[in-house]
Amino acid sequence: MSVRTQGTTLFTAILILVGTTVVLQLWLLTVSTEALFSGQIRTLLPAAAGSSVLLLINASLLRYVYRFDRDVD
Amino acid sequence: MTGEEKDCATCGKDPKWKQDFPIEWEGDHYVTRREMVKFLTLGSLLLAAANWITAIAGKLLHRGSHAVLYIGESSALEQTGSLLFRYPTDKDPCIAVRTPEGKLVAYSQVCTHLSCAVVFDKAENVLVCPCHHGAFNIDLGNPVAGPPTRPLARVKIEQRGDQLFATELEA
Repeated sequence: MSVRTQGTTLFTAILILVGTTVVLQLWLLTVSTEALFSGQIRTLLPAAAGSSVLLLINASLLRYVYRFDRDVD
Repeated sequence: MTGEEKDCATCGKDPKWKQDFPIEWEGDHYVTRREMVKFLTLGSLLLAAANWITAIAGKLLHRGSHAVLYIGESSALEQTGSLLFRYPTDKDPCIAVRTPEGKLVAYSQVCTHLSCAVVFDKAENVLVCPCHHGAFNIDLGNPVAGPPTRPLARVKIEQRGDQLFATELEA
């Protein structure tokens, strides 16, 4: 299997993972908004922290994609 | 077929349409997925930012109040079992009650279900919302019956002699 084909498979997996984390972030934002309007502000900070962790995961995966491209090129 | 393409068929070069779209199917998927990951990461950044904005808005909107306000005499509370007052503004009705243990507690009178005013039920020792029969215990203001799911906002009370002062609205 060529490196490029491996990359395609890998990117599909990364794409699915990133998509899942984005859906999780969307859910967290929904929960936060609902909590904000109902006055349950204790939920807001953990939700924001969780969203940031997911962002870090996504950013790391994107960095990996860039590094992979650079190595192949 | 144009003359140029005919020429290229013989010279071994790619036809013009192929030169215009040089990426092969496999490469096309490769690029598109990479772009999608970048796009989703940008979306992820925006969602995280929105989450932090929500958290900051929550802190700013529910800071509570620390104004000290005279609300009435302690003797009035002992006579009726409860004392109605407004804190921190004239638009915020509150209720102060004394627990059977003798502790003085006060809560916002606004029911957390649909904002009806809760009243003190001395026989049951709970704060009752007459609209949908919601009930809150007087020790912590937690919902114990009916549709409300969130506790009442608590008001801190300070007793100075016979005088009662509201000192803080807890968010």
